[in-house]
Amino acid sequence: MQNIRNFCIIAHIDHGKSTIADGLLEFTHTISEREAKEQLLDSLDLERERGITIKSHAIQMNYNADDGNTYILNLIDTPGHVDFSYEVSRSLAACEGALLVVDAAQGVEAQTISNLYMAIDAGLEIIPVINKIDLPSAMIDQVKNQIIDLIGCKEDEIILASAKTRVGIKEILEAIVARVPAPQGNTDAPLQALIFDSIFDSYRGAIAYIRVVNGIINEKDEIKFFASGKKYLAEEIGILRLNRIRTGKLEAGNVGYLIANVKELQDTKVGDTVTHVHNGTEKPLPGYKEIKPMVYSGLYPTNSDDYEDLRDALEKYKLNDSSLTFAPETSAALGFGFRCGFLGMLHMEIVQERLEREFGQSIVTTLPNVEYWVFKKNGEKVIVDNPADMPSQGEIERVEEPYVRAQIVTPSEYIGNLMQLAIEKRGVYINTTYIDPTRADMAFEFPLSEIIFDFYDKLKSISRGYASFDYEFIGYRESDLVKLDILLNGEKVDALSIIVHEKKAYTWGQKVCTKLKELIPRHMFEIAVQAAIGNKVISRTNIKALRKNVLAKCYGGDITRKRKLLEKQKEGKKRMKQVGNVEIPQEAFLAVLQIED
Amino acid sequence: MNKLAIYVHIPFCDHKCIYCDFYSITNYKNEGTYLDCLKKEILHYANLYSDDYKVNSIYFGGGTPSFVSPEYISAILKQIEQSFQISNDVEITLETNPGTVDDKKLGSFLDAGINRMSVGIQSFDKDELNFLTRIHDAETAKECVLKAFDAGFENISVDLIFNLPGQSIEKWLTNLNEAVKLPVRHVSAYSLILEKGAILNKMVLDGKVTLQDEDYDAELYETTIDFLESKGFLQYEVSNFAQPGYESVHNKAYWQYGDYLGFGTSSHSFIKNKRWWNYSSLEFYNRAVNERGHAIAGSEVLTPNMMLEEFVMLALRSDGIDIAALKNRFGKKWLDDNQPILENLKSNGFLNIENGFIRLTKKGYLLCDEILLNFIF
Repeated sequence: MQNIRNFCIIAHIDHGKSTIADGLLEFTHTISEREAKEQLLDSLDLERERGITIKSHAIQMNYNADDGNTYILNLIDTPGHVDFSYEVSRSLAACEGALLVVDAAQGVEAQTISNLYMAIDAGLEIIPVINKIDLPSAMIDQVKNQIIDLIGCKEDEIILASAKTRVGIKEILEAIVARVPAPQGNTDAPLQALIFDSIFDSYRGAIAYIRVVNGIINEKDEIKFFASGKKYLAEEIGILRLNRIRTGKLEAGNVGYLIANVKELQDTKVGDTVTHVHNGTEKPLPGYKEIKPMVYSGLYPTNSDDYEDLRDALEKYKLNDSSLTFAPETSAALGFGFRCGFLGMLHMEIVQERLEREFGQSIVTTLPNVEYWVFKKNGEKVIVDNPADMPSQGEIERVEEPYVRAQIVTPSEYIGNLMQLAIEKRGVYINTTYIDPTRADMAFEFPLSEIIFDFYDKLKSISRGYASFDYEFIGYRESDLVKLDILLNGEKVDALSIIVHEKKAYTWGQKVCTKLKELIPRHMFEIAVQAAIGNKVISRTNIKALRKNVLAKCYGGDITRKRKLLEKQKEGKKRMKQVGNVEIPQEAFLAVLQIED
Repeated sequence: MNKLAIYVHIPFCDHKCIYCDFYSITNYKNEGTYLDCLKKEILHYANLYSDDYKVNSIYFGGGTPSFVSPEYISAILKQIEQSFQISNDVEITLETNPGTVDDKKLGSFLDAGINRMSVGIQSFDKDELNFLTRIHDAETAKECVLKAFDAGFENISVDLIFNLPGQSIEKWLTNLNEAVKLPVRHVSAYSLILEKGAILNKMVLDGKVTLQDEDYDAELYETTIDFLESKGFLQYEVSNFAQPGYESVHNKAYWQYGDYLGFGTSSHSFIKNKRWWNYSSLEFYNRAVNERGHAIAGSEVLTPNMMLEEFVMLALRSDGIDIAALKNRFGKKWLDDNQPILENLKSNGFLNIENGFIRLTKKGYLLCDEILLNFIF
């Protein structure tokens, strides 16, 4: 155990986490140069494209250190986005140390800070690394000062590296060996193993990635998972290299995998504790949380005939991502679909994109919303994750919505712009601290609903891409929220209903009405487009009736062409969604998603 | 005996007009070869169909059929008359362009057997005619109709185009009025359409010409219907108006879903459940006819459902759906399936159901294509 080092890498997107990982794996001959050519730890295409890691993995290296000893290094990868902060915290809990990687040209970013705080809270030894020092725009001294201010380290503790040219890799490995403490477990104690990640294999079922904290786990052991209470037989145990390597057992301090014929991914919950059925531990490891979706949206097949296909796709998707929740729902406008719960906006985007790309689904989504707590006058509390389920105005005593604490790191010249944006988004300013004279770290509290929409894009555009942002959930607070309905000829378009702050309802309603007027084709009759709160119409516009649509000439040679056109138009009509007697093109639903708040 | 309509395409033109997408060529050196091929093609189809059909319409379209000599037309007609059974009251139409005929030529056309003239006037306005790149002026247009009448043509139709760029309602009414003052029995009034292959389409795409919007087009169209009906020309199709008894037999063959044969380049034929079309290119056409007697470039076999769709579409555009004919041909399923839709359209004033016909109202004609999308097939 003395020769084991468990560590992870904390970095902002694009600061070089994956290249550093490749460098370490290559240096320790865990992988060849050729294998390292692509950022190895990011195994999903989408992740690679976006340069972000979504599912964390682990890999073991053997390193012959300068002190003459061989060390087992377990690199535990962490997801790099705010939506996955719980998973990050569990990965951190499996480590004793963390590399803090900061881009020499970009400096410290919001995500660096929030993950760093988590690592410090978890008691990890932090090894600061400045990466990309060979960039012409590198500002090494400035970044050094930022890091020193941030973690209070000494200047000579900061490693200068260029992962791309493999500069500094050996120094990093030596620092891990020297500075990250060996794990402190007891092999004789009852088994406690932390599940920090899991994947689904179609042949083996759910495979748990575990860090053994105390005790020893052997194949054929009878084990149980605390959270689910379910019991299994440990079928196969081993360590993680590029592939799984079967070792038959894992001892306290080490990291590896466990296959136990677990059918579903949701039974290997991240953060859960594995122990023995007989003589097991009495209490689980701390920190386990049931992950709950934060953002909800309706997903509907573009063509309503594809409902079953979408269900299959969601089920298959969920095999590999148990944080997605979905339940059937019906919309008068969109037909049969699913209300899906996501960890956050990025998670939502990833799910939608992967459903389309990998599962060939064509979907229409509704406006994302958070989960509201509605307290009714009769004392009942209703949890609303779909605006359609909102009780009527008269029944409501108060509504509470989730709030987050947000951290925004920005060059100081954009502070004014950001304050403005924060006000627009109902933000409550907390404080500003300066990372260095030109970079500010601002704290706000926001309603979650305000930042799940277009907040990130706006943040980037008003700061020319320089500001970065991270958030964590802090609790529910009362707000003046109303349900805003959109009506076409008096019929509610349920898929366009939203829960919105009273003060924003009017502008939003107006924008949606204008957008719909633009996108709904003229019908044979006039269409009234209205936005209403309860029975009160707050915005209204009309789509004039279509006056003429007829081909002027249709003689012998035109008939085939005309029939084909008619068939094509009928196909197009099929893709429209119908509310009352009004047909709404899919684009209208998509366009509403693009409306700026 | 089944009725048959025959279309003959004469592709030759003086030049290509900007709004035209018909197959036409401005080179006359192949006229003779083309005539030989037409005769061969007529014979080819006569062998297949002359026993079962009697011809009740022959229509010379183009191109500019009036550009070729009356002898040319006469030779074609003779070939048809020799090869097919011809009804006594056959309608024989020649599309004629002002500026291509004089008294003598008109007389010869009459002698050749032509009994209906369809004159491509398009407009009586100098600027509009220039815009449309027609070779004639307003005076020539009027003269053409008057001379044809004097020559003995009693059944004359004129073509007009509306919604030209910048056309005011007054200007359009002037055009209509000029038309009905002439001895004509039939008026075709077309809203300007952008055809993919037409020069005008490119002009619009290039931003050289701006079209007026669809609401204005609707207004002009309503004006047209009202004006012509007030002058005794009743609407019997989206763009066609006639004094009672002067509806074009040929047009009605298309719209009442009758059989027709097309001879010549780019022409279409429809017999029973099969539709086919000829090569557009004169060269391809000639070669094909010489090699195999016909010049079919493509064909389709229509399913009963496609035929039902076409039947409804064409009937609705014109005189209306003859309920008995529909039931007879396709059964009553369509009527049953669409009963609520028809009732709804009726109660909203888009159509009438009376005397065994489902017929669009004026408001309905304006939205004919939109209405079609409502039906279940």
